[in-house]
Amino acid sequence: MISSKKKLPAMRILLTKAIFTMVLMCIAGTAFAHGERNQEPFLRMKTLHWYDMQWSVANDATVQVNDEVTMTGKVHFFSRWPEIISWPDTVFLGNATPGPVFVRKETYLNGVPMIQSTAVEPGRVYDFKVILKARIPGRHHVHPMFNVKSAGGLVGPGIWVNVAGDADDFVYSITTRTGVVIDNLGTYGVENVVKWHLIWAGFAVFWLIWWFRRPLIIQRYLLVKQGNWKELITNNDRKLAVLLLVSIITLIIYANDITREAYPRTIPLQGSKSEVDPSPDLNDGRVVVKNLLAEYYLPGRTVLIKAQVTNNAKSAIQLGEFTAANLRFINKSVPAAVKGVQDGYPEELMANDTLGVSDPSPIQPGETRVFMIEATDAAWETERLSSLLNDPDSSYGALLFFYTEEGERIVSEIYGQILPTFFD
Amino acid sequence: MSLTADEAQLLSAVNTPNSDAAKISRGLDMFVVAILFFAIIAAFHIHFMLTVGDWDFWVDWKDRMYWVTLTPMLLIFIPAALSYPFMQKFGLPISGTLCALCLAIGEWISRYFGFHLWTYFPFSMVWPAIVIPSLMIMDLILLLSRNLFITSIFGGSAVAFAFAPTNWPILAPYHIPVVHMDQLVNVADMIGYSFTRTATPEYLRFIERGTLRTFGGESTIISTFFSAFVCMILYFVWWKIGEWLTNLGTIPNVLKEYVGLGDDKNDK
Repeated sequence: MISSKKKLPAMRILLTKAIFTMVLMCIAGTAFAHGERNQEPFLRMKTLHWYDMQWSVANDATVQVNDEVTMTGKVHFFSRWPEIISWPDTVFLGNATPGPVFVRKETYLNGVPMIQSTAVEPGRVYDFKVILKARIPGRHHVHPMFNVKSAGGLVGPGIWVNVAGDADDFVYSITTRTGVVIDNLGTYGVENVVKWHLIWAGFAVFWLIWWFRRPLIIQRYLLVKQGNWKELITNNDRKLAVLLLVSIITLIIYANDITREAYPRTIPLQGSKSEVDPSPDLNDGRVVVKNLLAEYYLPGRTVLIKAQVTNNAKSAIQLGEFTAANLRFINKSVPAAVKGVQDGYPEELMANDTLGVSDPSPIQPGETRVFMIEATDAAWETERLSSLLNDPDSSYGALLFFYTEEGERIVSEIYGQILPTFFD
Repeated sequence: MSLTADEAQLLSAVNTPNSDAAKISRGLDMFVVAILFFAIIAAFHIHFMLTVGDWDFWVDWKDRMYWVTLTPMLLIFIPAALSYPFMQKFGLPISGTLCALCLAIGEWISRYFGFHLWTYFPFSMVWPAIVIPSLMIMDLILLLSRNLFITSIFGGSAVAFAFAPTNWPILAPYHIPVVHMDQLVNVADMIGYSFTRTATPEYLRFIERGTLRTFGGESTIISTFFSAFVCMILYFVWWKIGEWLTNLGTIPNVLKEYVGLGDDKNDK
C-alpha cells in the first residue's frame, strides 16, 4: 500500500512533468520545410546542381485550390558522383512537398514524360519541368526533387507557396483509355471499396455474434475439458458453417463475374523505365578547371579556392558565378551573371556579397590562369554546409559559370579536397 | 478428460439460467471479449502493417505477384496461432474471423486518421485489402473437420485461394488503362504518380518483377497457387507455435520479493 507521504512526491513529480510538457508545447515551433539543410553537405554538393530555376508563381505567392504551379530549370548530375551511394541509374523526378498537398500533374526530363523512373548520366545536364496542382490549403515549401535509388531524395531550391480555398473543392478529373470519365481521382472507386468491405464485415459480425450469444469462457472451457464436443459444436453450427461456406464461395464467384462484365479491359500495373538522353554538353572542353587548393575559413564563413582555368574557347571568358548545394555566389562585376539571377530565387540561397576573384580581367583564348576565388556568406553556416568538415571525405563540389564576351555561358565543374582553417 | 467435483459443480452453476454464477460468467465473457477485441486490433494491425506494409497501403503496389503471394502468407500467422487456444481450449472456430474483422477495423482507423486526415492521402490510394472471406473459410473448415491436417491443407490454402478473387472486385476499377502524358498506365499507377509520396518514389514499388511475367500472363493464378502451398505449411507451423505458447504454463517469479510481494515459492 502506498502511504500518503509517498503520494505527495509522486504528485509533485506528476505535476512537474505536466507543467514541463505544457511549456514544451508552448515554446516548440512548427516544422514547415523538409529538413533539406540537414542533408549531408557531400550529398548536396556532389550529386545534383540545380540552376536556371523558374517558378510560375513568386516566392510566398498565394494560389487557390486547383491552381497550377510550374517549376522548370536545369539539373546537372555531378561527374564525381559519391562512391558511397549508388550510381544514378534509377532516379525519379518529383516534388518535395509536405506529402500530397499538391498533386503532381506532369513531369518531364528533357521533354520525356517522367511517370516512370529513368537512368541518368553523371557529368551531364538535363532540363526538367514539374507541373503541380494545389490541393490542400496551407503554407507549403515546394521544391523540385530527384529520388535517387539508395541515396534518397535530393532536393532543389524551394519556394513558399500559400494555398487558399477549400480542400473539398479540389477536383482532378481524367478520362480513361476505355472512355470512362473519372470525375475525381481522389474519390474514384472508394464507394465500391467501402461497399464490399461492409458486405464482408457483415458476414464476420454475423458469425461472431452466432458464437458470442452463447456463454463463452468458463462454460466452454469446462465442456472442452469434459470432452463434450456435441454441446460445443452443435448440428446447427455445422449446418450454418456449410451454408456460410457455400455463400462465401458463391458470392466471390458472383462478384468476379459482375466485375468482369463491368471492367472487361484492364491492364496490370506498369513498372517499366523511361529512357532520356542528356542535353548536349555545351562546355565540351572549352573551359578546363582544376582545383589547386581549397580552404574553408571558419571565422569568416569563407570558402577560398585556388583554381587553374584554361580557356579553350574562341573568345575571352570571365567567372560570373560559383554555385554549390543551391547556394549562389554572383560576381557582380559581370553583367551577364547578374542578369542570370532569376526573379524569385530564394533569398536565403543568394549570397549578399559579390563573388571574389583575385584577377577579374577576362581570360583570353588559349590562356591558362591561376587565381583565387572567394565565396563569403553566413549561408555556409545557416545552410549547414560547413559540417562537410565532419565528413570522412572532406571534399567539395561546385559549378563555375563562365561568360564569354558575347554573353554565352559555359558551365564547368570544380571539385577537390577542402582544408579547414579554424582560427584567425 | 473428466471434470473434478468442483469443476462439475461450477459447470452446473453456470448452466443454471439467471443464477449468479451464470451472470458473473457472462460478465466475464463480455469483459474478456472487449479486451481481446482491442488486443487483437493492436497486435494484428501492427503485425500486418510491418510485414505486408506498402503492398497493402497503396493502390499502386497491389500487383499480381508480390501482393498476391505475400499477403496471405503474412496474414495467416496470428489467426493460425490463435486457432489452437480458441478451438482446443474453448471450442470456438472463430480466430480467423475475429482477427480479420479486427484487422479491418484497425486498418480503416489507421487509413482514416493516419493516412487521410494527417497526411492527406485520398482514400482511393490507401484502401486496405479485404481479408475476411479468406480467414473465415479457414475457420469454417476447422469447424467442419476439427482436424489440424485437413484444416492446414484446405483451410490454410483457402486463405490464399480466396484472397485475389475477393479483392478483384474492388481492385479492377483501378486497373483500367489510362494514357497520361502519352504514357500507358492504369488508374492505380496514375493515382500513385499524382498524389506525392515524397519518400516513396516510383522505383521503390516492388511490383511485377522477376520471371513470373513469362508465364503466359497468368501471374495472379501462379502466385496464388504458390502462396496457397506455403500457407498450408504456415498454418500447421503457426498452430503448433500457438499450441506451444498456450501450454507454456507459468514460471515462478523469484523477483517478486524484491518489490515487497513475496516470491511464488513462499506463496506456496
